[in-house]
Amino acid sequence: MKTSLSKILKFIKDSDSITAVIFLLPFTIVYGMFLIHPIIRGFYMSLHEWTIIRQMDFIGLDNYRRLITDSSFWEAAGNTFFFVITSSPTIVIGGLILALICNSKLKGTIILKTAFFMPYVLSVAIISLIMVYFFQPYAGFVNTFLVNIGLSRVQWLDTESLAWFVLVFATLWWTVGFNMILFLSALQDIPKSYYEAAKVDGATRWQSFWNITLPLIEPTTWTVVLLQVIFSSQVFAQMYLITGGGPGTSTRPLIQYIYQTGFRRNNFGYGVSMAFVLLVVLTIFSLVFQYVKNRRLSDR
Amino acid sequence: MKEKSLSVRVAKYIVSYGLAIIWLIPIVWMLFVALSEEGVVITNFVEWFLPPYSLDSFAAIMFGTRLFRWMFNSIVVASSATFFVLLTASMGAFAISIINFRFKELVFTLFIIGILVPIQVNVIPLYNIAQEMGLVNSYAALALPRIAIPLGVIILRNFFDSIPKSLIESAKIDGASWFTIYLKIVLPLSQAALAAVGIFTFIMTWNDFLWPLIITTREVMYTLPVGIPTFLDVFRPDYVIPMTVNMLAAFPAIVIYLIFQRKIIEGLKMTGIKG
Repeated sequence: MKTSLSKILKFIKDSDSITAVIFLLPFTIVYGMFLIHPIIRGFYMSLHEWTIIRQMDFIGLDNYRRLITDSSFWEAAGNTFFFVITSSPTIVIGGLILALICNSKLKGTIILKTAFFMPYVLSVAIISLIMVYFFQPYAGFVNTFLVNIGLSRVQWLDTESLAWFVLVFATLWWTVGFNMILFLSALQDIPKSYYEAAKVDGATRWQSFWNITLPLIEPTTWTVVLLQVIFSSQVFAQMYLITGGGPGTSTRPLIQYIYQTGFRRNNFGYGVSMAFVLLVVLTIFSLVFQYVKNRRLSDR
Repeated sequence: MKEKSLSVRVAKYIVSYGLAIIWLIPIVWMLFVALSEEGVVITNFVEWFLPPYSLDSFAAIMFGTRLFRWMFNSIVVASSATFFVLLTASMGAFAISIINFRFKELVFTLFIIGILVPIQVNVIPLYNIAQEMGLVNSYAALALPRIAIPLGVIILRNFFDSIPKSLIESAKIDGASWFTIYLKIVLPLSQAALAAVGIFTFIMTWNDFLWPLIITTREVMYTLPVGIPTFLDVFRPDYVIPMTVNMLAAFPAIVIYLIFQRKIIEGLKMTGIKG
């Protein structure tokens, strides 16, 4: 008892620790109140029947049980999953291709880089509005173009597969610049001498890409893939604004269903239980991904 | 042989620059729609880019909508979030990286956990908390969840770790306090990292959509991304007004991007790799 008390006194006297606490305090307070607290509160809410009228009736895991048989939940989760597996490879590979273009010996690559990255600085609301009118059925840009070259109009947003195409295209156009920048910085770190040595040994362009470029940018590729999957799995605004989740609910992603359950139907408890499932899945994915990445990179 | 390599070169230029032009078409098209007259029927896609031009829609928006109020809100929220992220994250990172105290790695690990929690999955309890605190429709509620994201602490800690320890030691021997070291040595040496975190935070906050959509219920408190879609009406044949709104909202972002292009790209590079 006495020793622990003197320890505490020593700790307080140790002015470095006090200063450290003071420096840590502002961030820790905001972090605790607006990031950690909501997680705990969210889990608590998910165990309750929590609506505007009836608050805090403890129902245990009922919300989670309900979710298993809720076909709308599975449809929305499936839509998010579908978006992840279609958009992630497109935007990662797209980013690599644009980075290779910007890293080439062409003149004026700064202009190319500026153009490819430009949509990224625009808000999702702006790019969605552009895309809505770009693909509008009667007077949209794409359809006027199609009519001019002798094709017929396409109902872009009323057909499920085409609506998905528009959503992936819009996200590619908007965000590929970010992946491009990450790949570009990895490409610029590769010493030129490697390529020169390969050339002396008679390697073709394709062989040096396959045997020098790809292995050397592998660490960056892992990072880009992880960031892309996390980003794609939270997709909401593009659907909400461009297709409205339609036709029907065929492009409605999980975050939109959570939003509608929570804020349109005021069922906070049920909405937050779905958010929790997403959080757990994302956390497990990130940890497994990091583990596999570290093993693979240390094997080399 | 030489002729072939020349044609390959030309083809490369055509593909690369052609792609860049395609990339810019939607933005350029938006500009021309905003400049066009309302009610003009387009039969040929080239007509999108031809006169008659008109500034009527600009005048209608300047005086008839809340666009500038929303722009002001977005600027207030994004700049205050950026300021407080830089302040709190640099202080926190300073404590963990520079000051020697027990449990520093534990504290850092607790911060890293938060990076896995996207704001999208937290919005319902966040709304509940903000409501209890009476913060619905406030700038504070719009900015605080962004300030709580630990990415800045993580990036700055990595950067502060690379500052030579001898520099800190000699300042200590000269009798400098931790606060002086923070203000006079660590911050000035970290301008690049601070700029990176600042730019990243600003762009992310400026573009936030779901959280502002939930926490603002009064039109005067909307940020730009929430306000712009209120003009969206696909059933209205004319879209000069919505596209002009869009154009005006995009304009500052494009101008700032073109001016600070190098800094923005360098900044994102840093956050992406470290994050």
